[in-house]
Amino acid sequence: MKKKILSVVLASAMIFSLAACGNSTPAPAPETQAPAQTETATPAASSSTDTAAEPAAAEPAGPDARGMIDGKFAETRHISVELYDRNVDGGTEAGNNAWTQWIQQQMLDRYNVEVEFVTVSRWAESDDINNLLASQTAPDICYTYNYGAIQTYANMGGVIDLAPLLAENKDLVPSMFDWLGDELIYQDLDPSAGTLWAIEGKRNEICRINTFVRKDWLDTLGLKEPTNKAEFEEMLIAFRDNADTLLGADASKMVPYSISYDVGWRAATLIESFMDPDISDKEYYVNGYDDRKFTENGTKEAVRLLNKWYNMGLIWKDFAVHTGDDTSEDDMIKAGFVGAFTHNYDYPFRNGKDSINATLAAQYGDNAKFVAVNCFEDKNGGYNKYSYSNSGDRKVFFPATNDEPIASLCYLEFMSQASTVEYLQIGDEGVLHTIDPATGAVVLQAPDEAHHDWYQNSGKNIDMTINCNGLRLSTPELTTLSLAFSYSDVDPADVQHAIEVATLDAQVPPTPSVGDIAAETEGTDLAGKRDQTYDKAVIASEADFDSVWDAGMAEYLAAGGQAIMDERAAAWDATYSSDMLP
Amino acid sequence: MAKQAAEKQKNPPVPRRKLDKNYIKRYWQLYALLLLPIAYLLIFKYLPMRYIILAFKEYKLNTPLSKMPWANVKGQTDVFKYFKTAFGNADFRRALWNTVKLNLLDLVAGFPAPIIFALILNELPFKKFKKTVQTIAYMPHFLSWVIIANLCTQLFAPTDGRINSLLTKMGAETIPFLDDPAHWVGTYVGAGVWQNFGWGSIIYLAAIAGINTELYEAASVDGAGRFKKMWHITLPGIKPTIVVLLIMNLGYIMGGGFERPFAMKNNLVMNVAEVISTFVYKVGIQQLKISLTTAVGLFQSVVGLFFLLTANTISRKLGERGIW
Repeated sequence: MKKKILSVVLASAMIFSLAACGNSTPAPAPETQAPAQTETATPAASSSTDTAAEPAAAEPAGPDARGMIDGKFAETRHISVELYDRNVDGGTEAGNNAWTQWIQQQMLDRYNVEVEFVTVSRWAESDDINNLLASQTAPDICYTYNYGAIQTYANMGGVIDLAPLLAENKDLVPSMFDWLGDELIYQDLDPSAGTLWAIEGKRNEICRINTFVRKDWLDTLGLKEPTNKAEFEEMLIAFRDNADTLLGADASKMVPYSISYDVGWRAATLIESFMDPDISDKEYYVNGYDDRKFTENGTKEAVRLLNKWYNMGLIWKDFAVHTGDDTSEDDMIKAGFVGAFTHNYDYPFRNGKDSINATLAAQYGDNAKFVAVNCFEDKNGGYNKYSYSNSGDRKVFFPATNDEPIASLCYLEFMSQASTVEYLQIGDEGVLHTIDPATGAVVLQAPDEAHHDWYQNSGKNIDMTINCNGLRLSTPELTTLSLAFSYSDVDPADVQHAIEVATLDAQVPPTPSVGDIAAETEGTDLAGKRDQTYDKAVIASEADFDSVWDAGMAEYLAAGGQAIMDERAAAWDATYSSDMLP
Repeated sequence: MAKQAAEKQKNPPVPRRKLDKNYIKRYWQLYALLLLPIAYLLIFKYLPMRYIILAFKEYKLNTPLSKMPWANVKGQTDVFKYFKTAFGNADFRRALWNTVKLNLLDLVAGFPAPIIFALILNELPFKKFKKTVQTIAYMPHFLSWVIIANLCTQLFAPTDGRINSLLTKMGAETIPFLDDPAHWVGTYVGAGVWQNFGWGSIIYLAAIAGINTELYEAASVDGAGRFKKMWHITLPGIKPTIVVLLIMNLGYIMGGGFERPFAMKNNLVMNVAEVISTFVYKVGIQQLKISLTTAVGLFQSVVGLFFLLTANTISRKLGERGIW
């Protein structure tokens, strides 16, 4: 009898040691689970047979140094995880819904780890995290888009150095290393100090920005889609002068081109078309602290053009006084008063029935919609613009108050697995998606009333897939194929077209690894100064334009903009020998 | 005389030494009620004051206050580092100047408004009409600044705003209420007056109600008209209230709320709209520069206290009652 028990224990120890730590329990989608298992089994097997199997044989069921038996904690651990709360109309409770419960159950089954979600407002995330950190109640796993903030926390002793933690526990996170690769995981490693405060996430959709025009207005006026700035301007003038035809009684509400107070973003296609397409990686990086391209060498001319259009009555007059998350502009676009705008490459397709294109179609018929156009030519005749880089998205960090770093790593491992991400993004067939019979593509849909608890509060649950931004299905081919079908209630052909427009001549920004830049934590409101200058320059009279822009730029540079650029240039020179990345 | 004697009999004077004990015994319920506000003041106003020391230290996360090092520049202790940083910062100096300017304008426009309103209201003969006007005038006080700021955008936006689109329709020039700095200051002060004049008038109306009506009757007999009565009876009657409120308001000259400037600002008017509270929020809360903003806050409080004490002293010297 004793022999029998011992042999069962030994046999099970062997079986378990062959599986990677995260894969010991079956995932919801077994067909996609299989490849992940074979991928990850090899590196984990060697280490776990060395360490875990031997003590298990001598002393059955004894936990290892991490307190784990076969990749699962012997005693239940507890971790808390940050989660954005977007306060969606018609959504579910951010921290408690079918998705969060699913994650909690999976983590408990796989690792014996209890997960608690700490929700922070999406629109005030850094304020909330600052307060949580200062009161020592920050969640064990935090993420933010802002690396400067993490650096500030680290300088105050608030963040765990992940370099030694990863070195010791690499065998626990094979899927994470597979998904992100050494390059991304160690992108923020400080070359001199050797510290690693955060792990970068990955973007799986790199399309960034598009300019959209009202297709039905072009048709009504017998115009072609604009292909350069001159044609774009003519189109805006035609919209302005034919407001009566296009809007009838609402003619006075006509806005040919709409921007917001965030000009650097909402005119990005125009601004980037004024940049030199052959700019060196170094120059891009040196000016790269400001993601609105404020200090790039063509920006002033781009804003001069905006200023001219503003003074010609082609741009929304009131853009600057509608601040924050004021929805006036969206309402105006959805009501059909706007002829063109620049935004996220998929902006008119977002939010299903509430999307811009679906709203317009419901009011004015299927022809009423925005289509993406490439209309701002660069100096080489192409359409220079920047996509996102695969490398670098949200940055995950562990606050110093995290006393479960290993359990937290297990969470990252779980979130890096293809099967987890796929399930979070597309859910169950019939509930959240169907398969297109013709192409085999995954077609996303909104859940019906009965399955409302599976409503995704963020698009494709992006807030939960913390190191993946963008559709990630079992194979890259299926992902590409399904991208255009991942918006409900709009025409997939329009989405496909927008993807192609956004991809044409798009450059991937370089992502060098040169360590921390101290000047970026000085605490000056550079983004505010930038936006103020953009806004004031656009509304200035043409005669005042130069003085307004130059004064704003001088203030920005003096307040710390120049110091950041200088330090970035020095850091680049210290790391790389040429102006281009190797 | 007789009245006083009767009172004496009812409450025989207690010997001085026993006074406190007996008082507490007799009115212990009232003192018990006082405990709650005292606890509030202790917990939320006095205990946090120990963190003032952060203005002289380097703030660290997850570190007890006593372990945080003194403010230093490259290891060289300089406890006033953050005060120097603040005053060396052009943004702070601008915020400081704007705070004083906006608060002074608020005082000039906002302080007399409730007094005038109370005086006018007091002269109204129709009780019902008076009550209705009073209630409507209170209402804005209960609106949050976020809502008022949105109302302002709806009303005053450069072209889409109700007023400007009306002006355009009438063929008149539009008024840049929100996009021109000087006009914005007017809108800001005006919105403040609008929000507070009704509420602020309550205390004056109460003070007016306490004025002996015999005085008015006597004045009528002497042939005084409405304005004479207002000038010689009502205003002197509420003068102590006015003085106390003025002193308290002067204490706020460096302070001021956060919601109002934050909700009403926009990128075109930041030169005049950035005040200390929004600066502290941006730098301290958003960028976690706790020591710097504690220094700024301390400076703000000290200046506020200085104004309050000065105003109080002057008021007492002029023979008025101070706030203590």
